[in-house]
Amino acid sequence: MSHKFPILIAGTLLTAAVVIGQQTPATRTPAAPASAGTAAKAPAAAKPWVTPRTPDGQPDLQGYWTNATYAPLERAAANANKPFFTKEEFEARVKQAAAQDEQQTTPGTTGDVHYDFTQFGLDKSQNTFAMDLRTGMITDPPDGRIPAQTAEGQKRGRERTAAYRPAGGYNAVQDIIISSRCVIYANPPGPPMLPQGYNGNYQIIQSRDSVMILFEQIGDIRIISLDNRPAPPLTVRNTMGISRGHWEGDTLVVETSNFAERPQGRNTVLAGISDNFKLIERFKRTGENAFEYEFTVSDPETFVKPWTASMPFARIKGPIFEAACHEGNYGIEDTMAGARLADRKAAEAAGKK
Amino acid sequence: MRLKIAIALAGSCLLLASVPLWAHHAFAAEFDVAKPLKLTGTLKKWEMINPHSWFHIEVKGADGKIAQWMVEGGSPSALIREGVTKETVPIGTVLIIDAYHAKSGENKAVGRDFTLPDGKRLFLGGSAQNVAPPAN
Repeated sequence: MSHKFPILIAGTLLTAAVVIGQQTPATRTPAAPASAGTAAKAPAAAKPWVTPRTPDGQPDLQGYWTNATYAPLERAAANANKPFFTKEEFEARVKQAAAQDEQQTTPGTTGDVHYDFTQFGLDKSQNTFAMDLRTGMITDPPDGRIPAQTAEGQKRGRERTAAYRPAGGYNAVQDIIISSRCVIYANPPGPPMLPQGYNGNYQIIQSRDSVMILFEQIGDIRIISLDNRPAPPLTVRNTMGISRGHWEGDTLVVETSNFAERPQGRNTVLAGISDNFKLIERFKRTGENAFEYEFTVSDPETFVKPWTASMPFARIKGPIFEAACHEGNYGIEDTMAGARLADRKAAEAAGKK
Repeated sequence: MRLKIAIALAGSCLLLASVPLWAHHAFAAEFDVAKPLKLTGTLKKWEMINPHSWFHIEVKGADGKIAQWMVEGGSPSALIREGVTKETVPIGTVLIIDAYHAKSGENKAVGRDFTLPDGKRLFLGGSAQNVAPPAN
């Protein structure tokens, strides 16, 4: 099903109907994995779905994808013993979430100082999103909750989160978070590749020896080497880590280490990771329009035990529009200019006392 | 939808992937919540850039003088995927924009709502509640 967003042009009485947000979600249920997509089109005569391959013979993960979802990372405590919603429960939740997408903030409140995502077709419910019956993405531990953090991990997380936005206002451009400065989308871009609020779109291109993953926000790019080269020593670090991959059957297994201290404060449980943080990701095609993405976090200095999360990626229509982040980024200038004006006014007010 | 979910999440350090919704930059640092505006102007240019888009409009003041304003809108990427172009909203279109003025005092604002003279909202013609059932 799709819905139409007429583009209404004043004065001309011209209405150009543009189809936006054609929803082609990849459904996953415990009993019917996403490969059901092809079966739905030709239920009687459908051939068994076969993993497509690149000219090199590797499983083909290429294309445009999104992991937009309404599923949370952690299961709600009430769902500790309920890993999946029923289809009816899921549909009700999606309907409720879509209604929330449309809700408006109150004029005169800080949250209202923003454009409306809905008006620009950016709500999840207006775009393709990966339907997933899971009550949360975490599959291990079995209760679907992130394991406890060590005291040191918590301390690192608190300190980095506090340092993320230096106190004292916008005195230097460095006080503006790096994603706003178009350096990297730090909330985070991955890995692990977690769902985003909007524009959570990816393009994957493969060669014999590498996999490239382009993330739409800020155009962040990951290169995963497949040629068995070893990871460099820990003195060589990267904000997105350094990734090495190999194939295990039809599954791409990627190990990423050598993360630089990640400037990802805010609401991230990974803020406190140690130098020895390791991430294992698994990519496996599950149907014509979906692949399953799983990741395992291992960092005994931060988490008391490893944990694993899983989510579907759904195919979307391409291409991905270039993130020309620096162009039109008047926000940097405006923010600094506003702060200096506030400084001058404060100084003038102080001088009058 | 606007940013209230992001604000709610900011208080929690454990909700890593509860679909963090936050805009590319801190609008409240750039625009003044205490200075709402209603701008009526004629479109001169739409900078259709991902993730920033800016509407350049000419606004006629009470004294008859024309002032140039820039109004920030949303990332156009979802619209572009569906065929919207710079020409979709023709130059000369009259826009009525509920906005917040830039803290810098310049003629810049963020558009919280873009409407047309007949009262219809720009772009939005459908209902976000119209969610498709699982396709497969």
